[in-house]
Amino acid sequence: MRNLLNFLAKYNNLIIFLVLEGIAFYLLSTGNSYHNSRVVKGLRGLTAGVERRVSNATSYFHLREISQFVARENASLRTSVERLTSAENQLFFSVTDTVHYQQYTYSAAGVVNNTVNRQKNFFTINKGRLQGLSVDMAVASGDCVAGVIVGCSANYSVVMSLLNLDFRLSARLKSNGYFGSLSWDGDDIRHVILSEIPQHVTFGIGDTVETTGYSVVFPEGVMIGTVSDFEKSGGDFYRIKVALATDFKKLHFVNVIGNLRKEEQLELEKQFQ
Amino acid sequence: MINRILRLGLLFILLFLLQVLLFNNIQFSGFVNPYIYIMFILLLPFELPSWILLILSFATGLTMDLFSGTPGMHTSATVLAGFIRPYVLRITSPRDGYETGAGPSMMVYGFRWFLIYASIVVFVHHLALFYLEVFRLADFFSTLLRVILSTLFSVSFIMLLEYLRKGK
Repeated sequence: MRNLLNFLAKYNNLIIFLVLEGIAFYLLSTGNSYHNSRVVKGLRGLTAGVERRVSNATSYFHLREISQFVARENASLRTSVERLTSAENQLFFSVTDTVHYQQYTYSAAGVVNNTVNRQKNFFTINKGRLQGLSVDMAVASGDCVAGVIVGCSANYSVVMSLLNLDFRLSARLKSNGYFGSLSWDGDDIRHVILSEIPQHVTFGIGDTVETTGYSVVFPEGVMIGTVSDFEKSGGDFYRIKVALATDFKKLHFVNVIGNLRKEEQLELEKQFQ
Repeated sequence: MINRILRLGLLFILLFLLQVLLFNNIQFSGFVNPYIYIMFILLLPFELPSWILLILSFATGLTMDLFSGTPGMHTSATVLAGFIRPYVLRITSPRDGYETGAGPSMMVYGFRWFLIYASIVVFVHHLALFYLEVFRLADFFSTLLRVILSTLFSVSFIMLLEYLRKGK
């Protein structure tokens, strides 16, 4: 204790100096947006190297799950290839232009940055405008909803995660087709809330919730999750808790779904509004 | 004692009026901006304890920041100037040492002494201030040029003001 007091007495000027400079630097970096951005950029530069290594290491540890995921996807693709080719496995078959009736395009992308611990979560994927992505395209992990692209650069896109308070999605119960509005309440990263389902509808825990296809963003029937809990809210509606099928904590590869007929639909709808 | 505090207060107000109303509007070729408010730190009495000096520096810098809308920039530069002032006084001390009771002045210690003393403190202050303003090392030499030119101008004006003070 005495040593400490001696130390303080000896260096009191230096300590006061450092404290006052600390306050000044705090003011400098919070009060001036230019200095603030420089400081943040500097700190990010320091941490970016570490983060990249950690990300490399963790992606290595996830290889097993990823390979299983890829294998499963491979299997399902092979099944559909089989189904498609078997129809053509005959002497005569008509050649059709497959792009002509195609409505959705799919392209795979890797997640390079992801947050789940904020109220407004976003993640970044490693494809952008040059790879044909654009704002308002849907993003799915496997065949489950993950988010919507909100910004594109040349080679990267930022996706508004389903775990974002601003995210709204039209969703329905697969068992009976009643649709409502889906959003996140900022509470639990494994559950979202489906509201506006009327109270006369019968459904059970475990029922699948999927997208409706009423918006031009997501195709119809993309899995969101399953009903885990519900309660009556207000007069006429249920407030349904949906357990997400996507685990946002380990988002690695996603499919970006683009709607080729989006402009056409929106233009037509605009004439009647 | 009270008289001296009052005179210092008056000096403070006067310097800030000059700085804000006059010198902030002088920008020689958009490059050089004299800051004479630092003269307040220069003229504080010798026997003032260092911690009061530091706190007064902080207040001075904060006042300047309020006027120029740059929180923290002048504050940190002025606190640095206040911190190094005792060391500068020590290395520039004349053979007979300093008399307590009177602040640093050109009249007592001479033109040359005041010029060296003021130049060192003002240079350190300007160095900190201008590099904090650009906040990167990319334009290192052009910033250094600004520092040196501004120091020249600030010191010239401070010497002029000190000369006027002496005449009074």
